[in-house]
Amino acid sequence: MQEYQPVSYQRWSPYSMNGGTILAIAGEDFSVVASDTRLSESYQIFTRDLPKTYQLSDKIVLASCGFHGDVLKVTSAVKERMKMYEYEHHRKMSCEAVAQYMSTMLYYRRFFPYYAYNIIAGLDKEGKGAVYSFDVVGSYERETFRAGGTAASMLQPLLDNQIGMKNQSNMEEMPLSKEKAISLVQDVFTSAAERDIYTGDGLKISIISAAGTEVKDIPLRRD
Amino acid sequence: MSILEYNGVGMVAMVGKECVAIAADRRLGIQAQTISTDFQKIFRMNDKLYVGLPGLATDVLSVSAQLRYHLNLFQLKENRDMKPKAFMNMVCIELYKNRFGPYFVEPVVAGLDPKTNEPFIAGMDLIGCPMEADDFIVGGTCTEQLYGMCESLWKPDMEPDDLFETISQALLNAVDRDALSGWGCVVHVIEKDKVTTRTLKARMD
Repeated sequence: MQEYQPVSYQRWSPYSMNGGTILAIAGEDFSVVASDTRLSESYQIFTRDLPKTYQLSDKIVLASCGFHGDVLKVTSAVKERMKMYEYEHHRKMSCEAVAQYMSTMLYYRRFFPYYAYNIIAGLDKEGKGAVYSFDVVGSYERETFRAGGTAASMLQPLLDNQIGMKNQSNMEEMPLSKEKAISLVQDVFTSAAERDIYTGDGLKISIISAAGTEVKDIPLRRD
Repeated sequence: MSILEYNGVGMVAMVGKECVAIAADRRLGIQAQTISTDFQKIFRMNDKLYVGLPGLATDVLSVSAQLRYHLNLFQLKENRDMKPKAFMNMVCIELYKNRFGPYFVEPVVAGLDPKTNEPFIAGMDLIGCPMEADDFIVGGTCTEQLYGMCESLWKPDMEPDDLFETISQALLNAVDRDALSGWGCVVHVIEKDKVTTRTLKARMD
């Protein structure tokens, strides 16, 4: 009788998972985008001070997490393209255009994707808050709120409940104030840091409004 | 695909002020297909002790019957109600008996001490490692979503009505982000003199 062995190989993977959680919320005339500041790989922490939000222009912020190598490449590629657009058209790229470009750029790598989960936040042409979320191959959608990264599944239901007013039958739909959005972001990240090992150390919140981008740094659990 | 994710379930238990609540969704599926929308996953052991069984449906039925058998025998022999902590230990022993061929359920126990009415909740893995908590226990295919909701919404010493609202919102919003759970929810709020069971209106998908 022939010996039957299951076939398995140890394979080198070009990707690794560096953890981290990101979140963006669009308000009436502002956007809030936040990320934790921990960079890790399996049970090791590389650094406690690496925010995952990248300022693309004074009113557009990209939050990106996943494999840090690809995150760096994605952010530099988008920044480069924005510069070229500005030289060619003599004006800054709009949030909508950056999102469209991001989608195209990610799909170019359909068969060897950038392992990065991206969320772009900014203000649209009318000055209203805009949040665009992407998957790894560039499928994108404009939304009111989106969480991404390792603790996304912990954050997203709470945002559905508190901002989307889901499963609340007797609540009036109130426009989201900046203060409520920021306090919600702090609460959800504190909860995520409790239960997700890849999220913690610090929280960086960028608030984008007509006046520009304001930044807040808040400490999180370091364990 | 894990065998614990074959049928799909969302379950949560929370502690309040002199009360506990346990809630679960009602879906029974075979992977993507929904078979039933009124599948019972929480079982009454006695007036102050409920056990929830998330996991493989066939084992939910087998284990609930086995636990009822053991509990009834205890009550007949000792002529008293079993304490929730003792019941939890019994479940752990029964699960560990099948260490190398386990039942694919990860029970959640919720109850009040029969004499002191002190709240008690606990969870365990499929081979009987117990975990007691003084806040909440989650189980099923949407544990991450439930952890996020519970961590933000739970606060200590909630009255029964407040506890009901909190556990309902936690479960409803978490199962809405999980394809394998949903189709309605059942919530039991256990107080020292009564148990209130409510079925929640939810997204039916």
